[in-house]
Amino acid sequence: MKPTLTNTRGISSLAAILSVVVIALLFMFPRYVQSTYALHIMILIFINIVMGSSWNILGGYTGQYSVGHSAYFGMGAYTTLILMQFRQIPPWYGVWAGMLAALIIALIIGSICFRLRGPYFVLASIAVAEIFRVSALNLKDITNGAEGILTTEIPPLTIGGTVITDFASKVPFYYTGLFFVLLVILVTWLIQHSKLGYFFQAIREDQDAAHSLGISLTIYKNTALAISAILTSLAGSLYALYVGFIDPTTVLSLELSVSIVLICIIGGIGTIFGPIIGALILVPLSEALRSNMLGQALIDSGLVSAESKFGNFLTENLAHAHVLIYGILVVVVILFMPDGVLGFFKAMAARKKKEAA
Amino acid sequence: MAILEIKHVSKFFGGLAANSDVSFELEQGMIMGLIGPNGAGKTTLFNCITGYYPPSKGEVVFDGKTMNGLQPDKVCKLGMVRTWQKVRPLAKMSVVDNVMVGALCRTNSLKVAREMAMEQIRVVKLEQRANFLAGGLPIGERKKLEVARVLATQPKLLLLDEVMGGLNPAESEEIIQLILDIKKLGVTQIVIEHDMKAIMRISDRIVVLNSGEKLAEGSPQEIVSNPDVISAYLGSE
Repeated sequence: MKPTLTNTRGISSLAAILSVVVIALLFMFPRYVQSTYALHIMILIFINIVMGSSWNILGGYTGQYSVGHSAYFGMGAYTTLILMQFRQIPPWYGVWAGMLAALIIALIIGSICFRLRGPYFVLASIAVAEIFRVSALNLKDITNGAEGILTTEIPPLTIGGTVITDFASKVPFYYTGLFFVLLVILVTWLIQHSKLGYFFQAIREDQDAAHSLGISLTIYKNTALAISAILTSLAGSLYALYVGFIDPTTVLSLELSVSIVLICIIGGIGTIFGPIIGALILVPLSEALRSNMLGQALIDSGLVSAESKFGNFLTENLAHAHVLIYGILVVVVILFMPDGVLGFFKAMAARKKKEAA
Repeated sequence: MAILEIKHVSKFFGGLAANSDVSFELEQGMIMGLIGPNGAGKTTLFNCITGYYPPSKGEVVFDGKTMNGLQPDKVCKLGMVRTWQKVRPLAKMSVVDNVMVGALCRTNSLKVAREMAMEQIRVVKLEQRANFLAGGLPIGERKKLEVARVLATQPKLLLLDEVMGGLNPAESEEIIQLILDIKKLGVTQIVIEHDMKAIMRISDRIVVLNSGEKLAEGSPQEIVSNPDVISAYLGSE
């Protein structure tokens, strides 16, 4: 049951203060932390938050579980890089083109897929995203096919002759990522506190009831998809520029679509902070598993000798099983925390409060 | 003046005629009872009237405009809205948010919508529940929520599909009073109901459906003494 109004207000003012502090700390982060690895992880987390939060607008708020969001991600990535590499258009214009491209394909995909409901919509969204992947593989003149596109150099960003940044370090990507994160959170907040948010959630809870209450399903589902797609393309553009290389298997794959959905499911669907928590858990987790941090730590601490059988197992086998471990952890979280990590802790707090009362 | 005219409406599902050639008119401000045995086609008729199914034949005219081919959301905007036999609360939203969704059909401002919603919540007497999640309400309150939500869309015509189904006598009585209160607000209503005592009390006119066809139409007194109706309900000798 929902707590009283005064209670939620008290929590939100605390959350507001905390958010301001966190944002301020994030702005100062690159000044005090020089480690490029830390910056790298932060940028990955930002990209994942943008991906997750954008999906959340369609999946979490509107209840349309698209497992084809790689199409919009890839559209942003490809448009930006193609324009930059082959047409010499700087990426800060290319990003807009990417958003426009994502919007156009979202409207096309929406007009096809939203005729279907539930699991059929999910399947259609996967199928459409696959069409884009296969097209990108085969339209070699435009996309370079399976070879992918490698960026040579990002032109420096200048305003009136002064160089703002030359993109030589990770710092400009860090701030761009942070800016995109704040933008997506702002958009989500605005949606949640407007007519759109009410209509999206009504559609999620019961389409037929929403329809009978004067909500046009076609208009509002497509609106949700359009917003979601545009923001997802931002994540794609940033990823492409940051990593400097894209090919169909990285930015248009089903794996990517699934990982976008996972960010939200793990963190908590249909909430502003869910995707943030999801990204904060999943990115470091997958990095730690990939670099075999745990096994290395055991060996370094001297608990396990590198020459022993177990040590050998850690370095030789476990390091290659990171995808398996990641998968198992995800299953465990979904089994025991069906509302995501955020939902789990909220429920726990509510239970504690009930016991205290 | 008739606010709703059903003209020779038929609805076929394959070879099955769920409604065949149903016609009647509804005057502004009155309550029409729609009764009939299970499977008579009452809910199908509701679906045809409110745009969920296009009628296979015939025409629905509401407020002088033909409804054929209009989607339910357009129908709602024009002032005709229905409730569901199986209640459909927006479970993870609070009661007031549920009713606000209805109110937002008429306004863009959340503040105005909230005021409109609270007004309807008071009409159905759910004030103490306003901030509770709709999914946690007992059946009686869910039915009231359903009514508050459709009232918030400011309808001219309300179609109530078994709002008393599954309620105990005390709760049914509250709903009966609610329907009579809504009538006083000047809202025309069509009520599907199985409880004969209740339907006789509240209806100005009654239409009886049987096997998809209109069996009888008249005042409650005429209906109870109609031999065709009696045989449809009790079986003939």
